[in-house]
Amino acid sequence: MAGLVLQNLIKQYGTTRVVHGINLEIENEEFVVFVGPSGCGKSTTLRMIAGLEHISGGRIYIGDRVVNRVSPGKRDIAMVFQNYALYPHMSVGENLAFCLQQRGTPRAEIATKVAQAAETLDITSLLDRRPSQLSGGQRQRVAMGRAIVRNPEVFLFDEPLSNLDAKLRVQMRGEIKRLHRLIPTTTVYVTHDQTEAMTMADRVVVMNHGHIEQVGRPLELYEKPATTFVAGFIGSPPMNLLPGTLSGAGDDLGLTLENGTTVALRGKVRAGVEQARSANVVLGVRPEAVGIAAQGPQGVPVPVTLDEVEPLGIETLAYGSIGRTTLCARLAPDVALQAGAPADLFIDTDRAMLFDAETTRALT
Amino acid sequence: MSDATFSESHADDIPLEATPAIDHVKRALYIILGFAIAAIFIMPIVWSVANSFKLPAETLSDPVRLIPRNVSLDNYRNLDTVGDGLWSFVRNSLFLAVGTVVVTLLIAVPAGYGFSKFRFPGQNVIFVVILATMMIPFQSILTPLFLILVKLRLANSLTGLVLIYVTFQLPFSIFMMRNAFDAVPKALIESARIDGASQWALMRRITLPLALPGVATVAMFAFLNSWNEFLAALIFLSQEEKFSLPVMLVNVTTGIRGMIDWGALQAGITITMVPCILLFLTLQRYYVRGLVAGAVK
Repeated sequence: MAGLVLQNLIKQYGTTRVVHGINLEIENEEFVVFVGPSGCGKSTTLRMIAGLEHISGGRIYIGDRVVNRVSPGKRDIAMVFQNYALYPHMSVGENLAFCLQQRGTPRAEIATKVAQAAETLDITSLLDRRPSQLSGGQRQRVAMGRAIVRNPEVFLFDEPLSNLDAKLRVQMRGEIKRLHRLIPTTTVYVTHDQTEAMTMADRVVVMNHGHIEQVGRPLELYEKPATTFVAGFIGSPPMNLLPGTLSGAGDDLGLTLENGTTVALRGKVRAGVEQARSANVVLGVRPEAVGIAAQGPQGVPVPVTLDEVEPLGIETLAYGSIGRTTLCARLAPDVALQAGAPADLFIDTDRAMLFDAETTRALT
Repeated sequence: MSDATFSESHADDIPLEATPAIDHVKRALYIILGFAIAAIFIMPIVWSVANSFKLPAETLSDPVRLIPRNVSLDNYRNLDTVGDGLWSFVRNSLFLAVGTVVVTLLIAVPAGYGFSKFRFPGQNVIFVVILATMMIPFQSILTPLFLILVKLRLANSLTGLVLIYVTFQLPFSIFMMRNAFDAVPKALIESARIDGASQWALMRRITLPLALPGVATVAMFAFLNSWNEFLAALIFLSQEEKFSLPVMLVNVTTGIRGMIDWGALQAGITITMVPCILLFLTLQRYYVRGLVAGAVK
């Protein structure tokens, strides 16, 4: 068992740098999820860890060993690919046995290990079938079986659930977590789906443009996003980001939005104002901190035009516009609101936060 | 409507629409046309086979008849009197064809693998040059090839001829194999590398089995082309004991007292085409897949 350390990791294609010196320590048996939009460098980073991509700079340690120049087969890792990458001409059993055969494991031991892995994943009855005869979920399980059969130091998952339908995805998410509890192994999991990141990870690494935006526990990311990018990426619907200019002082302290509306800044959000280097800031507020009536003493009304009201059963989402900016409110399911009408939405400034408009970093 | 009503219909109750008569007629015409076109292609073969089983005299007097009056193997016996005998020709042809297949595969499979999976300087140029050799008409370089074979002491030798055939087979074969290996998904290869497979294991256990349709296509083309090849065989082989079947067929037409033995010729043709047809029928399933490999993802 081993942890994983990325030290100043760089990936460059010609003169284009796609990963800009990443530093990250992943502890033994930790489940870390890399999340970010496509092209953010998360898959490239994973592929460098796997050894499938040449490392342009920096170091990767698996345990105490620098693996920069170690071939993928000797890094003691296992990887689950997005499209499963099962060998189509081999049976499920042969697929599981392949990596053990390549390592010269004795035949009897291979049989035991394959049987064990198959049992863990409940695919014993499929061992004689070909991958083409399996359903998507079954293939996914076989791909995982192939990863666990040889008991690697590190598991790597490259968007493993993106080919499955929504229902199966939720189910497999649970299975991967269960597997991780059953066989605790250092795991790096790449996805663009923030729900997967939030539900599965011990720690989430949010990446953007080849940089790490923030590393933290899922709730930490939700409650204290370090940048506007993280704020907009984590959470569904994402955090409302209202750009504006600080105005007034003392009790009159407020934020003047683009269309001239001023939002009074009260309560805890004021802590950020002191950190501000310029008057240009972004007010971040989660949809659940926006209501149709003042929630508590720090509720501040903002006049909006309601564009859209989406009753979802468990809740109703209301989208109002303030000039060009959209403000989303997460409301009780029974509110009666009419799209197209003007309304007042109340921002709970105690639960809001400020970001520097220029650096996009959080000020609180 | 204020009230919507729901009712479930029972599948048994729904009347099925009859297929219109015009569709039946169209289909019948289509099938008849198909048979007619097939017949045009198949008839020469059928006639050859039919005539080969007639008495030699009947072959001459009534070549059009499809079912022989008396089934006889005389034509085949006559064929055996040509030159060193039928089996000598068959043996030579088999040596040429199998030899060409084996050597072509031994070279084209690794070459195609290299072009598909490795990046090296000048790769594209080398590949284009290899393909460009396909544009040179083979007849135009027969003389230099003959001189080279004489220098190598391989003139009038079946081995030498195999090398000639392989040379002409290689560009297409390498091209085919490269496409076949290209069609193997990259993720499978990466997965195998993570599984610890060596380059050799990767080719033998993963990519080659998946590129088998390509291998089948290459093997089939190499076999058919060398089995049927006439001109080079005629020029490079000078001893009768080394002649291949196509050369024998010419000897049959001109050999016996200047008169063409049509019956023996048909028997020779029949024997010559049987392996080709069998091979094609066996491999056609792979052959189509091999040709279109890499065409669509």
